[in-house]
Amino acid sequence: MIYSLLVLSSPASGHGARTAQAFARAVLQRGHSIHRVFFLDEGTSTGSASAVFPQDETDRLQPWVDLAENHGVELVLCISSALKRGMLDEAEAQRYESPAATIHPAFIVSGLGQMIDASANSDRLITFGG
Amino acid sequence: MSNADKKSMLVLIRRAPYSSSLARASVDLALAAAAFEQQVDLLFQGDGVLQLLPNQQSELLGLKSIGKVLGSLPLYGIEQVYVDARSLSRYGLAGENFVVPVIPLEDEAMSELLARSDHLVSC
Amino acid sequence: MVMHTLNATAGSEAFEDCLRLAKAGDSILLLGDGVYSAVAGGQSSVILAASPADVLVLEDDAAAAGIQLKISDFPLVDMDDFVSLSERYPRQLAWY
Repeated sequence: MIYSLLVLSSPASGHGARTAQAFARAVLQRGHSIHRVFFLDEGTSTGSASAVFPQDETDRLQPWVDLAENHGVELVLCISSALKRGMLDEAEAQRYESPAATIHPAFIVSGLGQMIDASANSDRLITFGG
Repeated sequence: MSNADKKSMLVLIRRAPYSSSLARASVDLALAAAAFEQQVDLLFQGDGVLQLLPNQQSELLGLKSIGKVLGSLPLYGIEQVYVDARSLSRYGLAGENFVVPVIPLEDEAMSELLARSDHLVSC
Repeated sequence: MVMHTLNATAGSEAFEDCLRLAKAGDSILLLGDGVYSAVAGGQSSVILAASPADVLVLEDDAAAAGIQLKISDFPLVDMDDFVSLSERYPRQLAWY
């Protein structure tokens, strides 16, 4: 089956982001494919290349990077949610004359059309919030 | 985007309009679905029904009016939205002139609505 | 057929509304904050048991909460089971 995931919560707070990550790995382990993971609202914080988490806890960014780089999973941050959280890629940082690009290159920034496309082209759409 | 497999979507909206950023995100999501000609239904539940109130003077908060955006839904082909009847009752809004036509639903009808859509998104 | 994933504690609106809408043929998977309501002998576990939907609990979250041994009314499932559930249920609704 083709899965897409919608992630609404930040890696810094709540259960949703962590559960989404573990679910994504389990989906692939069961032989399914993931069309896209779309991060919306607080979920866009996931794409931060700058966030620093406690060193004695599990890395919260690397598992997503691994999914993108080693399993070809597309990770998309909703642009309007991302911008207001200081999440900018190179192009946006230049356009808004912002001091730095802050998004890890494993993530793409795009619009809600990508979310709609994910819904239209997936057998399963699983949402993670809270 | 391929038209081969059109999937219907139900967006369940549960947040008050101006506190959670998710409220605006969910409205944008509904509009995007409509704009891309996907079949989409909206169900407002709990605090979500408050997004439908008319006369939101959000400029006093320096924000765009969510009520105004929802009022434009018919332009995108969404002629009416569903609301949880119990939520209307809780807020004393049962006869209110909302920004878009609403169809109040009791529990059983809401359960049936969930079962009719291909995908469910809760924001 | 809906798979409800419930990541909210028993006092919340999300919990109440999930229970209102879950019907026979649905599943409710308790995860995150939702696992606490499954503790045996609690009022909320009685409410859950009365639901026409099947109730399950995500084991890792129950263990993280320290309550895994206090859950006896509902099956504890792992991530693989979660995916397996999602294969069977065409639609999922997240409550949080």
